[in-house]
This record gives sequence, C-alpha cells and structure tokens, in this order.
Amino acid sequence: MRLLPVILLALFAAQAQARDLPLFDAHIHYSHDAVIKVPPEQAAKILREAGVRSALVSSSDDDGTQKLLAAAPEIVVPALRPYRRRGEIGSWMHDPTVIGYVEDRLERFKYKALGEFHAYGDDIETPVLQRMIALAKQHDLLLHAHSDADAVERIFKSWPEARVLWAHSGFDNPDKVRATLRKHKNLWSDLAFRSDQASGGKVDPQWLAAFEEFPGRFMIGTDTFAPERWYYIKDHAEYSRAWLSSLPTGLAENIGYRNAEKMLGLMK
Amino acid sequence: MRRLAWLACLVTLAASVPQPGYAQNLILTESEISAALSHGPWPPPGKNDPSNRMSGNSAAISLGRKLFFSSKLSADGTLSCASCHQPDNGFTDGLPQAMGHARGDRNTQSLFNQKHQRWFGWDGRNDNLWAQSLRPIVRSDEMALPVADLGTALSGTNFSDPYSRLFGPAHSHTKEQNLVNVGKLLAAYVETLETGKTPFDRFRDALESGDMVSAATYPEAAQRGFRIFAGKGKCNFCHTGPLFSNGEFHDAGVPYFVTADRVDEGRHGGIKSLMRSPFTLDGPYSDDLNKTGAWKTRQLVRSHNNFGTFRVPGLRNVELTAPYMHNGSLATLEDVVHHYSSIDLERLHADGELILQPLGLTESESGDLTTFLQSLTETEN
Repeated sequence: MRLLPVILLALFAAQAQARDLPLFDAHIHYSHDAVIKVPPEQAAKILREAGVRSALVSSSDDDGTQKLLAAAPEIVVPALRPYRRRGEIGSWMHDPTVIGYVEDRLERFKYKALGEFHAYGDDIETPVLQRMIALAKQHDLLLHAHSDADAVERIFKSWPEARVLWAHSGFDNPDKVRATLRKHKNLWSDLAFRSDQASGGKVDPQWLAAFEEFPGRFMIGTDTFAPERWYYIKDHAEYSRAWLSSLPTGLAENIGYRNAEKMLGLMK
Repeated sequence: MRRLAWLACLVTLAASVPQPGYAQNLILTESEISAALSHGPWPPPGKNDPSNRMSGNSAAISLGRKLFFSSKLSADGTLSCASCHQPDNGFTDGLPQAMGHARGDRNTQSLFNQKHQRWFGWDGRNDNLWAQSLRPIVRSDEMALPVADLGTALSGTNFSDPYSRLFGPAHSHTKEQNLVNVGKLLAAYVETLETGKTPFDRFRDALESGDMVSAATYPEAAQRGFRIFAGKGKCNFCHTGPLFSNGEFHDAGVPYFVTADRVDEGRHGGIKSLMRSPFTLDGPYSDDLNKTGAWKTRQLVRSHNNFGTFRVPGLRNVELTAPYMHNGSLATLEDVVHHYSSIDLERLHADGELILQPLGLTESESGDLTTFLQSLTETEN
C-alpha cells in the first residue's frame, strides 16, 4: 500500500509528460494563399500554442517559408518546394523553368531540405527531377518526397547516398513501409495525413511493430495543404500526443521530435 | 429479368429506331439509362424510427407540427423552427447563413426527406432526427431557450393536454427528458415532409416501365445534363441513389473560413460533438432496446481528412433551396455548376478527393446540367 502514492505519482508524471511532449512537425506548408489568410505572426502563434517546437516548412511559392522563418526563426526549418503555385504538383516535373527557379532560391537562401515534391515511378528519370537530385547533392539537402515506393527506389538508384523523407510513407501499408526502410538506411518516414497508425489514442499493432523495428525513422506531420488546415495543427498535435503517450517514453520522444531533429542534424 | 428485357428494348430504340414522335428524343445509352434507373423509384420505402416511439404516431405528428410553428420554443418568443425552415421556401430561409438569435456559420438545410438520412446536419453531429430536432431549441445562436424553461413553455398552453396524453405531464419529467420529448415530437412531424414526384422521376419511371411516349417528353437538354451528371461530371459518385446523396462527407473545394481567425471544422467537429452527445442511438434516450443503427456511431473513427468536410446534400427540390453549399456561398445552381466546372484543385489534397477535376464545361453543357438539376424539383405533372 505504501507503494500506491508512488505509483500514482509516476502515472501522473507520465501523463503530464505526454501532454507536454514537444513536437517536431515534419510536414508543414505555408503557401501563397495561406500567407494571405493566416498572416505570419498568426501562423507562428498557432505553432507555438500547439507546442510545436520545430517544423519542416515549405511553401508554393517559397516566399511563404521565408516570411514564416522571419516570424518564427526558433521553429521553422526551411525546405525549398520546387513549385511557384500549388497547382504545379502534377506538371512541374515536365517544366524546365522549375530548375531556374530552384537554383535562384538556393543561391539566395539557406535550406535544410528540397521538397515536399510530388513524383511517382519514372518521374524520377525526367531531367527536372534528376537536376533536383543533383542540386540536393550539391547543397547537402534532404529530399522530402511525396512518392510511391518505386520512385523512392529510383531516387536511391540515382544517388545512393541521398537522404530521403518519405512523405505520408507513400500511403503504403506498414509492411511495405518496413520493407522499404530495411533497404535504405537513409530513408525516414513521415506519417502526415494518415490516420491508420492509431485510433482512440491506441497504436495499430502492425504500425507498432514498424515503430519498434525502426525506432529512429518515423516522425509526425500535419500537412497544411490548404490555408484552413493551419487551424488543424493544434488538433493534430493533441491527436499525436494521445497515441504517442501509449508508447514507451523513449520511442514516443523519438517519433515526437527526436528523429526529425537527428535526420536534419538539429539536435537540441 | 423484366427490367433487363426493357432495357434491351430501350437501347434498341434509342440507338437505332428513327420512329416519329419520340424515339429521336431519347438520347441516353444503355449504361446511362441504367444510371438513371438507380435514382429511383421515388419515394423509397420508409419505416418508422424505432429510436423514437412517437414516429408515425398521428397525435405526435399533429403536436409536433404545432410546436414546429410555435415561437414559444424560443427564448424571447420571436422565433420558431419555421422562422428558418420556411415551408414556402423549400423549408430553408433563402439566406447564405442562418439567422437565429445570432448569425450562424452555415446555410439552413432543407427539411425534406429527413426520414431517409443516416447523419444529420452539415457535419453529421447527430445520428438521429430527434436529436437533430432538439438542438436548435437550446443553441444560443438559434432559438436560445433555456432548457429549464421548456417545462413552462409546455405547461399552461394548448400544448399541455396533448403532451400529457403522449408523455404524461411535463412537470413529471426532468428538463432534459422534456427536451428529448419535444425533439421526438418535432421529428415525428419532420418525417412527414417528403418531396413529391419530379419530372426526372416521371422520366425514370417511364424508362423502367417501357412507356416510351412519356419518357420522350423529358427535355433533351435535361437528358444531356444527366449524361454529364452521370458521365464526365461524375456527380453521381457522391450524389447517388434516390436521394441523390451518399449521405457521407466530402471536401468539395469550398473555402471554410468563418472569420479571419476561425474555420468551420465540418465533419471533424461533428464527430467530436457526436461522441460527447447523450442523444445518440446508443444513448439512454433512444426508445429502441435493440439499438438499431447504433453500430454506425460506435464504429466512427476520426481521421485527418474529416477536417473541413461536409455532408453531401440531397438534390431533390434543389431549385427551391438556394443559396448553396455549407456556407451558402454560391447563390444559384448556375454558380454551383460553374464551381465544379472550374474547381480549384489547389485547395484539395493530392491524395484526397481524387474524383474532383475541373470539368471545363462549355456554356451549353453548363446550361444542360443546370436544366437537369432543375428537373429534380417536384411538379404537379
């Protein structure tokens, strides 16, 4: 009985820790329409109030990322998206003018990643994608790829030393994600805009097995693909903390923020 | 088999027989006729709501109708259900957003054909009609009646005797039970609001029965519009069946900011509300011991793509229910057609509503689609 207060205290401490778990949101966009609808100071406030201590941010065009970086330099980790407008996601790989745009931004600003870009299968073989990969190599950038497993394979074939963050983990099932992670030590998986990994605060067994096999590779992300979704960041953070709290503390912290920080060389 | 035989007959006629009078006016192909048949017959068979013991009870329907038009259910006696759900206005109010005691965030939905719904409200915050019916009475931006005052509203009025005969005296119930009872009376009335036959229904029924003369009276423009609706428009992917709705929730590319710093969460908020509600099919106020249909609420799982999605509205009597979309942001049916013709894909997730693509309709095609939609509104003949 004398142990009961100790147990209760430990439980309370664990819950408080889960509630306060800092998060690295690895999938944030702040595009041209979001800049208008959710001004930079408001966007920074949303991130801070959600307890997001770092965020991998990209935008179409890149101006949004730069504005948010100025408003929240302690949070924003800038990524360069190769789009001038979001509507280019299906056409950019065939548009050589993208190369000049990206090269110009890389000369003028500092980034940690190139993406998030959309490319599937043999899109990777196009001159535009190959140039993106070469630029990532030249500037030591992570590639944030919204891709299928085939495209991921082609990226590593093009550049075996690439570091790739697989957006939404390709919307593949956990077994497929695990199989791909086994093949590439420099591949990380974001879980943005997918809900199958956890429900009601409990982690799906298949996903749990994936997290346990690769405790250093997974991370969370909101995916603010439309301006309104900035107001989902807080809900998403609460959702993430709820299911992370069902994991062992070390694993929860890894997925919550540590994996993203290690991936980007930002250990705090 | 009988339907298939008629279909074969119709296809033959439509495709190849240049008979005078009607055949040249029937332009649909076999698959298009099959698609048209899937939108009927109308009305579908209905049954009473087992969670509401007042459902189908004539005395309850009569009292529910009186309550629907009574302003005694509002805080200051100025509003009734019919203030927003106006019978002469398709049971809507013609406003972009509802105006109760304060301006609401959403467009007033029509009350037609509610007995056939699965979820209620733009966000599906209720899984049954009586729960949906009681909410506006107590919501601060709608009728704003303090729930404690409901007993008074029911006592000492011409509602008192019929209410007592159905439930016992209001003072013998808790305030919450009285609220539920009133919701069930209102629902009993609203269940009776069913749209009648439309020109499209007559066309569809004529196709099914092989009445070619009647089928051929359906305007060619409306047939061309249906061809778009069920063809390249893929409208019938969500606007399915006799109700012209799958009853579920989608992102139609409509912005959902309410104010500069507030958004309408749509289905995401609806599920949160439903999970907190005591007024569900699975809850203590259901009259159905078997909890029929409660599984749908028990099985609900929130997902990220619920955020900013809204229930697909049925299209029956659609011409009477302008303006359109969850926030009333589109004034006319022509505006709705234009919205889908030039939909902004930038607003949609790359792995989200894959069905939506800008239709790029010509002016003539837009007119045809509008004509078809107008033919979904009931007429006497």
